Amino acid sequence: MSDTPAPGTSPDESVRGRTLRVAVVGLGRAGVAHSVMVANLPGCELAAVADPRGSARAGLRGMGFAAPAFPRVERLLEKIQPDALFVCAPQQERARVTRIALESGVPAIVERPLARTLAEAEELVKLAAQRRVLLAVAHPLVFEPLFARVHELVRGGVLGPLRQARSAMFVSRVFAPHPRRGPNRLDPRRVAGGVVAHLASDLLFALVRLLGVPVEVRASWNLIYGAVEDELHGMMTLADGVEVGFDSSWSVPGYAHASTVIELEGREGKLLASDEALELELERPAAGFAAGHSRILEAEFDSPARFDFGGEALWLHDAACLAWVAGGPPPAGEGAAALRAQRVMDALYRSAAAGGRSVPVS
Amino acid sequence: MSRREYPAPRLLLSARALDGASRATRERLLEIQARFHEPESLAVTLVKAVEAGAEGVLSSPSAALRAALAELDRTIPLVAVLPALRPQEYRLLEPGVEPLLARSRRDVGSGWRLVWRGLLRGRVFRAGDFAARVPLLLEAEASRLPRRGLESVVIAAPLTDAALAGGHRVFFESTARFVRGRFRAAAGFETRNPGVLLRRLREWSLRPDFVVGPVNPRGLGMKPSLEETRAELARSAVPLVATEVRASGLCTLAEGAQYARSLGAHGLALDLAETDEVSADLRRLAGEPRE
Repeated sequence: MSDTPAPGTSPDESVRGRTLRVAVVGLGRAGVAHSVMVANLPGCELAAVADPRGSARAGLRGMGFAAPAFPRVERLLEKIQPDALFVCAPQQERARVTRIALESGVPAIVERPLARTLAEAEELVKLAAQRRVLLAVAHPLVFEPLFARVHELVRGGVLGPLRQARSAMFVSRVFAPHPRRGPNRLDPRRVAGGVVAHLASDLLFALVRLLGVPVEVRASWNLIYGAVEDELHGMMTLADGVEVGFDSSWSVPGYAHASTVIELEGREGKLLASDEALELELERPAAGFAAGHSRILEAEFDSPARFDFGGEALWLHDAACLAWVAGGPPPAGEGAAALRAQRVMDALYRSAAAGGRSVPVS
Repeated sequence: MSRREYPAPRLLLSARALDGASRATRERLLEIQARFHEPESLAVTLVKAVEAGAEGVLSSPSAALRAALAELDRTIPLVAVLPALRPQEYRLLEPGVEPLLARSRRDVGSGWRLVWRGLLRGRVFRAGDFAARVPLLLEAEASRLPRRGLESVVIAAPLTDAALAGGHRVFFESTARFVRGRFRAAAGFETRNPGVLLRRLREWSLRPDFVVGPVNPRGLGMKPSLEETRAELARSAVPLVATEVRASGLCTLAEGAQYARSLGAHGLALDLAETDEVSADLRRLAGEPRE
C-alpha cells in the first residue's frame, strides 16, 4: 500500500485515517488489475478475494498477494466485512454476485457491462437505490486525462451547439495468437455481446455522458468468427436531431492497443480526440485556447496515477470509486449513469438483430 | 543479492518498439515496424548501433530479432527481455505465470517437453508462485536466446509490476539469483513504476544488477511521481537504465539524456521509436560526459 496520496484522487482524504478494506470477486485479467490498483491506492487495503477456480486464487497468491482467498462470494462476505467489492466475475455471474453484495449492504463496483441483460442491470440499479448502497460500473475511459478534458471542454460549450459527431474504438484482437473466438469462447448465452459489450461500451458510456441519451439508434453488425458481433456500426440520433456515428471492431489489423477516436463538429469549432492527442479548431478563442488550430499530445496531460498496470485510467477510476465509498462525490460510472449507456447498447443490439431498422432507446 | 557481480549497461539501443512495448504513437510504431520488417535492415542498424557506442540491444528475443542476428557473422550483445511476449499477447492471456508457462510449453520441442512435464510435476514447483515458476518460464524461454552474446536477462514489466504490486520480495531475490547462476548474465527488472520498484528494493535490501524504466524531464511514466522517483534515484544502490528519455517527443534527446543522467540514471536505452538517426544519436550519447 502506498503512503503518499495524490491530491484530489485518493480515497483516504475522505476516510480521515481509516483504511478502506476492499475485496475483489473474479480473478481474471480485470480482477487482478483491480487487485493491483487497490494494493497501491493510498488508504486502501486488499482485504480478500474470491474466485471459484483454485488456479486463479493460487495465481494471485503467487504474485505475492496475501489477502484471504475464498471460492465463493457468500463465504467472503460472511468472513470479511469489506467496505467495497469489485465485481469482476464472468458476465453471466455478474448480476448474481452484485445482488449478493448489495443485499449485504456492501458497495459494488462492477466491471462493464453491469449485467448480461438489460433487465438484470435495471434490477440491480433499482436494488441499489432501494437499499441505498453505492453501485458503480467500471468505465475507465472517461478517467483518461485527455478524455476527461474533452468532457470538460464540450460540456463547457467550447464548440457551441453540436452539428455532428463520429466515434470509433478499434483493437486487433482476433489477429492475436489466442483470439477470443472459436467454440465456447463467446457464447451468447453467457455474455452480453461481442466487441461492444466487451470493449466499446466504454466509448459508448463516454458518448452518452458527453452528449446525452440518444432517442433512437440504428446499427449493423458483422459476425465474422462466431455468434457474437466482431464489428458494429451504429448511428445514434440525439433529441435535437444531431447524428452520432459509432464504429467498433476487434477485427481490424494494426491496432495492437485499443484505440479510441471522438470527432465532434459544432457551430463554434471542431474537436478531434484520440488516445494520442486532442486537437481543436476554434472559430474564436475559448477555454484558454486561441482561435484556429491547437494540438495537445496525450503525454502533455497530467498523469497523477501512482501505479501503472496497464495505463493511467484504471488507477484514477478505482481511486474515484473508492473515494465515493469513503464519502466523496459520485464518480462517472455510478449505477444510474452506467445503466443509461447499457440501454443504448441494448438498443444498438436490437437494431442490428432487426437488420438495421431504427430502434427507440428505452 | 548482497553484492553486484555483473556490470549494468551504460548505453543500449532498445528495440522494444518492435515488441510493441512503447509509448510511441500507433503511426510511429507501424512506421518503425515496417522499416525493420526485413531482417537485413534491423541487422544493419544493430551493427551501426554497436559501432556507435551502444553496449548492446535491449529487446525480447523475438523472431524478428533472431532473424536479424542470424544475418550477422558477428556477435551483438543482447539484453534480453523475457518472456518474449507482445503487449497484446499479455492482454489475451489469463493473468499470472501459469498461462505463460503453458504457452512456453507449447512452443518448446518434443524432447524438451518430456523434461518439462517432469519439472512441472515436481512438488517443489508450486503452481502459480512467481518465485518458483518464473525460473521454469525463463528456462523454457532460453530456447529463444542466441547462443552467443547474452549479456543480461531482464524480466518484462508485466511480471515485474505484478510481483511489485504483490510485494513479492522472494521473487525478486530468487529470480536475480537464478538468472546469474543459470545464464551467467546480469539480472534486471523492467518496470513501469521505477520509483516504486527502487523504493521497495531499498526497503528489502535487495540489489539486482539493474532496473529498466522511464526517466525524463516531464515525469512521464515515472511512477509513483517524478519527485519520489527522483528521490529514490538519489538514494538507490541499484543502477537504473533509463528509457523513454524523450517523453514521447516532448523533449529532445539531448535534454532527456542530460536530465536522466543528472538524476543519477546509470545508463540510457535509446529506443528505435525515439530516433531516426541511430548512429549519430548513439554516438552523441556515448560521447557525452556523465554528471
